[in-house]
Amino acid sequence: MLSYIVRRLLWMVLLLIVISFLTFMIFYLLPSADPAVLRAGKQPSPELIKVIREQLGLDKPWYVQYWKYLDRLAFHFDFGTSYQNQVSVKSQIFDRAPATAGLAIGGAIVWLLIGIPIGIISAVKRGKLADRLAMGGALVLISAPVYWLGLVSLYLFSKGIGVWGVFDGAGTYPNDGSNLFNSPFTVAPTLFLPWLVLAASFAAIYARFLRGNLLEVMSEDYIRTARAKGLPERTVIFRHGLRSAITPIVTILGLDLGILLGGAILTESVFNIPGIGRLAVDSIQKSDLPTIQGTVIMGAFFIILLNLLVDVLYAFLDPRVRY
Amino acid sequence: MKRSLRWAVMLGALIALVVGLTACGGSSSNSSSTNGSKAGEPTKVDLSAGKKGGKITFLAAADIDYADPGQTYYTFGFMVQQAINRPLYSFKPDDTTTPVPDLAAGPPEISADNKTITVKIRQGVKYAPPVNREVTTADVKYAFERSFSKNVPSGYAGTYFSSIEGTPAKPNTGDIKPISGITTPDKYTIVFKLKAPQAPLVSQALVMPITVPVPEEYAKPFDAKLPSTYDQYVAQTGPYMIQNDSKGKLVGRKPGKQITMVRNPNWDGKATGDYRPAYLDGVTIEEGNDQLEVASRRTLSGNGLMCCDAGSPPAQVLKSALTSNKDQIAFVPSGGTRYIALNTKVKPFDNLNVRKAVVAGFDKNALRQTRGGKLLGDIATGWLPPGIPGFEEAGGLTQGKQYDFDTKPTGDLALAKQYFAKAKAEGVPIGSNGLYNGPDKLLTIATNADPGKKTAEVAQNQFTKLGFKLQFRIVPQDTLYTKFCGVPSQKVAICPNVGWFKDFTDPQSMLDATFNGNNILQQGNVNWPQLDVPAINDAMKAAATTPVGTERNKAWAKINDMIIGQAPAIPWIWDKTALIASKDVKQVPNGYTTVQDLSFSSLK
Amino acid sequence: MPMLEVKDLRVHFHTDDGIVKAVDGVSYSLDRGRALGIVGESGSGKSVSSLTVMGLTRFSKTVEISGEILLDGKDLLKASDEEMRRLRGNEISMIFQDPLSSLHPFYKVGDQLVEAVRAHRDVSKAQARDRAIEMLGLVGIPEPRKRVDAYPHEFSGGMRQRAMVAMALSNDPKLLIADEPTTALDVTVQAQILDLLRRLQTELDTAIVMITHDLGVVAEVSDDIAVMYAGRIVERADKETIFAAPEHPYTWGLLKSIPRLDGPRDEELVPIPGRPPSLITPPSGCAFHPRCPYARETHKTIEPVLEPVAGRPDHQVACLLPSDVRRRLWAALKAGEKPAEAVAAVGIPGLPAEGTPATEELQP
Repeated sequence: MLSYIVRRLLWMVLLLIVISFLTFMIFYLLPSADPAVLRAGKQPSPELIKVIREQLGLDKPWYVQYWKYLDRLAFHFDFGTSYQNQVSVKSQIFDRAPATAGLAIGGAIVWLLIGIPIGIISAVKRGKLADRLAMGGALVLISAPVYWLGLVSLYLFSKGIGVWGVFDGAGTYPNDGSNLFNSPFTVAPTLFLPWLVLAASFAAIYARFLRGNLLEVMSEDYIRTARAKGLPERTVIFRHGLRSAITPIVTILGLDLGILLGGAILTESVFNIPGIGRLAVDSIQKSDLPTIQGTVIMGAFFIILLNLLVDVLYAFLDPRVRY
Repeated sequence: MKRSLRWAVMLGALIALVVGLTACGGSSSNSSSTNGSKAGEPTKVDLSAGKKGGKITFLAAADIDYADPGQTYYTFGFMVQQAINRPLYSFKPDDTTTPVPDLAAGPPEISADNKTITVKIRQGVKYAPPVNREVTTADVKYAFERSFSKNVPSGYAGTYFSSIEGTPAKPNTGDIKPISGITTPDKYTIVFKLKAPQAPLVSQALVMPITVPVPEEYAKPFDAKLPSTYDQYVAQTGPYMIQNDSKGKLVGRKPGKQITMVRNPNWDGKATGDYRPAYLDGVTIEEGNDQLEVASRRTLSGNGLMCCDAGSPPAQVLKSALTSNKDQIAFVPSGGTRYIALNTKVKPFDNLNVRKAVVAGFDKNALRQTRGGKLLGDIATGWLPPGIPGFEEAGGLTQGKQYDFDTKPTGDLALAKQYFAKAKAEGVPIGSNGLYNGPDKLLTIATNADPGKKTAEVAQNQFTKLGFKLQFRIVPQDTLYTKFCGVPSQKVAICPNVGWFKDFTDPQSMLDATFNGNNILQQGNVNWPQLDVPAINDAMKAAATTPVGTERNKAWAKINDMIIGQAPAIPWIWDKTALIASKDVKQVPNGYTTVQDLSFSSLK
Repeated sequence: MPMLEVKDLRVHFHTDDGIVKAVDGVSYSLDRGRALGIVGESGSGKSVSSLTVMGLTRFSKTVEISGEILLDGKDLLKASDEEMRRLRGNEISMIFQDPLSSLHPFYKVGDQLVEAVRAHRDVSKAQARDRAIEMLGLVGIPEPRKRVDAYPHEFSGGMRQRAMVAMALSNDPKLLIADEPTTALDVTVQAQILDLLRRLQTELDTAIVMITHDLGVVAEVSDDIAVMYAGRIVERADKETIFAAPEHPYTWGLLKSIPRLDGPRDEELVPIPGRPPSLITPPSGCAFHPRCPYARETHKTIEPVLEPVAGRPDHQVACLLPSDVRRRLWAALKAGEKPAEAVAAVGIPGLPAEGTPATEELQP
């Protein structure tokens, strides 16, 4: 097990290097804005452009730039300094990570709390009205764009601009350094709508996924065995059926969380939550390569890490899995 | 889920992450198209006394570019600078043509030969904590010197101030070096000696934030870094200050999140002749409101809010607001012209008659619809927009009257054909239908974000109607400028999304960089049509030295006429910005910054 | 009174394609301590009828069940779900074909046994665990104390099926239904499991219903044998009679398709031609007629009934051939003749000309 984890971690490092390289190359090869000219103002002298280019280190050949970047990253865990405001990218990411984490983890809890019971009920009441309503609703939520859902929820339920101003709306997430983890009671209310919006489509996907899984599992031989033992149906469904049906949920949860921890761009944008996703968008708009790199690498890191965690967790969930 | 499948999903996610975040930097701003018939007349600025006290939150899309006065160069940065610092001269909200002395004690004294400018500053102006000392002219001198150094790249120092004696041809490396042309005979006097008789332009440019004093002894350690970190430690002299700590670090500025401004305890407006009333006790700028629709709705129905730094609210919000909350909206001219540049160095636009035909045949009204119609701008007929001295002299809203091709807002195909016929006589391929018939595909670089994208698409249509074949490419706005339209070697034929907005209110600043053949740069070029007509270049040289006043305005209005006669581009809108505020906010727009003036706005 | 009596049991499933008559009028009885083998191809209804006895088909939403299943005189079809649950795993229990898929992969074998015990007995976990260990020992799992904490995937196939048996017997059921208990196992293990079942049957005095497609397997375990075809019993007798004097052509086919230890070494095995019939639209008349080499034209219209063979009340068969013809055919077949040869030798009146069997269109 330990050697497996070590091996996986080494893979992770390699993958991250590849990703940083790809990001770097895409930034260089595709026609994005020239960061130096962008920062030189309206009618810059060639000298000024040159100065800024040197300042940003863009005058060196790409491989030198990349090597320097990698060197800093690997040996000092330094993502460099933002082109935009001379703030260290690492500090910006760390500053924003709690907001994204609070959004993603809270959202995940919400969608699990909604999606799992609905999935179970749908499977148990298969074909009945409850099932049809739930699955129809799920389809609507899956197809609804998060962006649209966010706006609708704001116009309906947020204080200030909503028809029924019950929840905190956009821009209420505090910027004073408090986050869900150090002051849950002040921050949670501001995240309530974002959680619902973020969770909506996931809850729908999980409900459908779980329903399908559970139905499949309930036709397994070991379910027949459980019934043949004379176990109460509740025990059959929950202890035997759900236990198997829910295990794959861990996998997709890990992947989804991994992706979201790298920034829930749309939700963050609609609700103005200062998370990594918005940092990424801002940095793209400003051709701020170090910040783009930093957010991409952090995003990739979370995806790979959560994937590893899922694999490790699987060994505990499914006794057949061994590394 | 199978493991192999899971790996595939993970890889997919990673690829999407990398490609998504790096390749498609397209930002989607809000499109607006309305046939609003109500005139969005510039709002009369109400400078009557406001209520003292209270706080306002300004909803912004993104962070300011810089807090460092030597580096900031965008509207939103100017807005903050206007509240936290005092340049030598600045504009009251209601008068955008005549700057008033701010840190300066009176108007600049200009020598007869237009080569020396002397400015006296007020006594007793003090820096906010932790610097706390009185401002002297040495601080202004240092502010200039640092802006010519490598560590503080200024976007405009070279453009407007390189005529000062002793300014380096290229930014100083290493230490910040004295500029011989700037002297301080005493603590309250500063003298600028110029190489050329450029005093009119330079004196007008003294409103730029480069003239904000910077205390050398405090700033030096920050400026020693490459790039300077003074941006995070700005010393402040205005009625407000971005909250800082005992070391001067601007802890109130959280990039991309928020800027907290509080009263500057060392500011004494009365004693130091500051015209700013500074009613509010504080202003918070809430960033990240890139959903303009949400932000504008919040502002209109909320309390204590103002909006927006990123342009006018979406048309549908604006329209409903105009009927229900009219007094919450203010219109300010943006002080700029948007136009479609025709590259005069590329066939067939090297032919004057082809260019005239294009200008004549273009439906500018259709273009204007893509930015919100009449409500949000007048059709541009030249390059001296409303609010710029020389606008009236140039003919007001109908500039270039003497040119028939410049007068039809909806386009005149018959007239276009007449000019095409003339071009045909000069050997340009014109078809039997009287329209252009060249085989070449004209490289057109447009922006990928609305509303610019829509504008470009309408333009594409119009060009096609006139017989042109385009090679139409869309790229992010920044790429458009830095990699294509601003780089002559790319030979871009048509740039449908360019525009020039005032830095300060002088007609020269509107025309010189953009149409002077001597100002064509190999990179970062803004003379997009690459117009290089000796008569115009010479006229500009002469007009540059004309003293500020009617004569100067007339001289530049005449140059404006000459440029229109060259048809180097299709001017199509002088836009207005709609500013909005909550019901309990008395917003005061500043015609210079084109956003609200934080030092004049107040709570009702 | 027999312990288990099934009367005219019908189990029909309503599907999109039509009504699947999986069991269509099955009756049999079983006395305490006896073993009944139900033999047939897949799709003959042998599993479904037993699952119905267990009350497991009632979980299907499309099922329609009629008839009577009397356990000690009580009709199980009329019992409530809760009453059935109390019986399952307690009075009646069942073991299945594939022990790997029939055990929950995520739970320890011991825990699954404990669960079975505690489903019906109010005992502590420790007591249930002791019982589990005892049962594992009883079914011949070595070191049961250690093995009780193993997961199913850590067991071999034979051990898993032993564990299943242990689980099924842990509450001392009156009736054990074994549904193809050895099919998924290799031959040596098969024999062990069958030995185990036979031993336990005598030791614990449990009645057994052994469901299999393999006459060899029933030969090992059963006292009586019922042969099922297309949802019905076509022949029923004690084991010796079935092997010595079978009356139904389908039974003959089954017997000729398995190797016999007492048969000649070079005996040719003859598979039954054709495929099992559709249960949605079963063949008219005798359901076996399309595959029967001896079927007459009239067999396509007349439905045979299960009735005692003349002079032997315990031997019942559902065949339209005259009794003497059947006996002569079997004699010929037993002597090693092929069906066609047997027909020629015996001479069946009413067969189509040239002795062509009616199975022509179904020849494999």
